[in-house]
This record gives sequence, structure tokens and C-alpha cells, in this order.
Amino acid sequence: MSPRHHPTHHPADATLLRLAAGTLNAGLAFVAQAHMHGCAQCRTRIAAFEAVGGALLDSQPPATLAPTAFAAVLARLDETPAPAPAPRQAKLNLPPDTVLPPILATCDIGPSLWLGRGVRFNKLRLPGTAQAGAPQTNVILVRAAANRPIFRHTHTAQELTLILRGGYTDITGQYATGDTAESDATLLHQPRADAEGCICLLAFEGRLLLTGWLGWCQRRLGG
Amino acid sequence: MIQPTGACVKAPVSRYDAKRSAARVPLSRVPLYWAALLSPVDITAPLDAAAQVRLIGLVAEAQDRQAFALLFKHFAPRLKAFHLRAGLADGAAEELAQETMLLLWRKAAGFDPARAGAATWVFTITRNLRIDAARRRQSPLPGQLPAWPEADPSPSAEALILENERAIRMRGALDTLTAAQRHVIELSFFADTPHSSIATSLKLPLGTVKSRIRQALTRLREQLGGEA
Repeated sequence: MSPRHHPTHHPADATLLRLAAGTLNAGLAFVAQAHMHGCAQCRTRIAAFEAVGGALLDSQPPATLAPTAFAAVLARLDETPAPAPAPRQAKLNLPPDTVLPPILATCDIGPSLWLGRGVRFNKLRLPGTAQAGAPQTNVILVRAAANRPIFRHTHTAQELTLILRGGYTDITGQYATGDTAESDATLLHQPRADAEGCICLLAFEGRLLLTGWLGWCQRRLGG
Repeated sequence: MIQPTGACVKAPVSRYDAKRSAARVPLSRVPLYWAALLSPVDITAPLDAAAQVRLIGLVAEAQDRQAFALLFKHFAPRLKAFHLRAGLADGAAEELAQETMLLLWRKAAGFDPARAGAATWVFTITRNLRIDAARRRQSPLPGQLPAWPEADPSPSAEALILENERAIRMRGALDTLTAAQRHVIELSFFADTPHSSIATSLKLPLGTVKSRIRQALTRLREQLGGEA
């Protein structure tokens, strides 16, 4: 994300409130975080929501702790935590001037998969979701060549997209570098990459449903 | 790292001394540490926002266990209450409270008082731990937020005061909400559910819940002078 660009499309209040409260789906939270790296406005917004959480915490009537609680914590103060394993990332061959949000360095990136002419995507695996069967953390990195239509699709629940480079246009508007686009199950859209092409992060709850011949393939493959 | 001796509190006598002590700890903060320890503190009273910031500073710079004890006394029972309120069992809430205090000790150096109040920072730590715990239980996964970026090593006094004031105003602002508005905001934090489930549990249409949350957020914004 280029620092010179100021995003004009931001996540909704409800989304940021859930992010602050810790109840937002992991994939959506990841994308919202990546957006905030380049958006001072949203950092200020979420700070206010987190302050609500801080005020709620501070105004709780104290509960009774186990009598050994303090001793137990004191005994562990000098432990050193084990470092997290380094993520495994496939080579992406992005244009050299692409600035990726630092949060991307924390996740595994799968191999590039083909999804229509000029469109490729990689599945991401977020840190902490390495266990088998971790559901509902669908995040993909989509790359579309200049002026290519990106697969036509709808969703079973909320979707959050962040443009990392270039931009796209769909029936809801034009989105440029740093912008987020939020949509839900009611939207069937086919974004089309702008002249510069488009690299975006896309997270969705539930499933992403392709339509047209790609959708036929998806259904045949049981995906 | 400042050893708790009187030497560093004295006013610097030469330019060299001034430079040296500035490198160790912002001079503007030094007297505050001592005020925290030397003043007759009523350790049974809840810590105010400024005292929380000072004590976390002491933990960060001097690994001061006495300061940590005071923070523990204030935050641990409230953390446990917070998680009990969010529906966790007694044992799990206790464990999260202890884990949070442990991380407070480890991450104290990353606390930037110019960015958030102490209680807000502690809240973000415990929120992330709760997310981790939920993930281990393989329940629907909310998102882990990454650790905070590095703290500004020398926040201006002005920024510190502003943030401190904001923490105090936020508590005041919460009290100005109507009972119904406060309820939906609290549910957003205490119930590990999306707004549609809040609507179901309150037996209200989703639109009503959404508009109540919106009104509450607008109200908080007004109270905070449009900065939210």
C-alpha cells in the first residue's frame, strides 16, 4: 500500500466495533487490520472503540481470585515464551513497487492457483489456525491482470476486500489502493480490474460462491 | 534500566548528565514513578488512570515487582469479572486473568501511553488472549490481532495528558448512554456473538439492534468531541 494514497472506502462502524471487541471473524479481522496499517483514520476510530472496552474493564466490580493467583503469576514472571515458527510463503512475483502491509508477513501463503484468464489467487493461512479443521478463516490473495474481469461471485455471509495495488470497479463503485469494500450475501458482483491491474486481499465468512462456468466447475468439484 | 536508587531523580547538573539520563528514561516521567511509590498510596483503592500508566512504566523500565503487585491487585480481579461476565467458566476466567497479567509484565515496554489508556491496553491484551483461547477450543474463530507496533520511546507530555483525559472522558461518556444503548454496547463486548445473535437474544429485530449501536456510537463520539 502506498503511503501517498489516502483510502476513501473504509470498514463500517459495526465491523470495527466487532474487531475492537474481539468478536470479528479471523479472516475479516486480518483484512481490516491490514487496511488499518495504511489508514490513520481507521486507527483512530478503532482506538475509540477499544477505549470503550478499556472503560468497561476498568469499571467491573472486582471478582474474587483464587488465593494462589498472585503467587502463581509471580512464579512465572521469568519464563521466556517459545518463539512462533516462521511462516511458509510461496513466491508471489509481485511488481517490485508493491508495498504489502506487514501483517502479511505473519501468515502462510499457499501456491498460486489459476482462476480464469489473467486471474490467479493464493490461499493464506493465518497464524494460530494451523490446526486441522480450523474453520471460517477464508483469506485469499487475488491478482488480476489489467482490465480483466475478476470471477463473478456472491457470498454466503460477509466479505471484506482490501486493495493492495491498482484497483477495481464493480456495480458498487470504484476502489483504489488502500480501500476496503464490504459486501454481504445480497450482493452478486463481478469486479473488473482497472488499467493498472489489481492485487487484493479478500476475506469471507462462510463460502464464496462462483457463478457461470467457474461456478459449474466449483459445484462439480464439490468446493 | 533504572535501578531504584535516588540518583536518577536529581536534576541533572551538566549537559552530559542531562543527555545520559534522557537516554535512560524520559526525565518528565521520572518524578512520577517516585510519586507512585513514595506518596502514601491507599493500596486498597482502585488505581486511577494516571497511576496505572506510572506503574506500567515502572514495570517496563525497572521490572519493578512492587508496581506489578499494585497493578495485579487492581486489574486481575476486574479481568476475571470481565471474562465471567462474557460467559466464561470460573476456572477459564481465572486463567485468562492470570495470563493477561503475565503478558502485561512481558509487554510493558510496548505500552505507549500516548496511544491508549492503560486500561484500554490491558483490555486489548486480554481480548487477544480470549481470541486465542477460543481458537484452541475450535469454536468459531474470531480474529487474533497482532501485537502493537513499537511504542514511541518518548511520548510528549501533552500526548500523555490528552490520552489520560480521554480515558477518563470515555468512562464519563459511557455513563451518559441510555440503559438500552449501554446494554447493546456491553453485549458487543461481553457476548462473543455477531450483532444478529444479539438481536436474537434480546428478541429485537436486527435493524433495531444496529440502529441502537449506531446511536450509542454517535453519542460516544459527541461526548468525546468528535475524535472517535
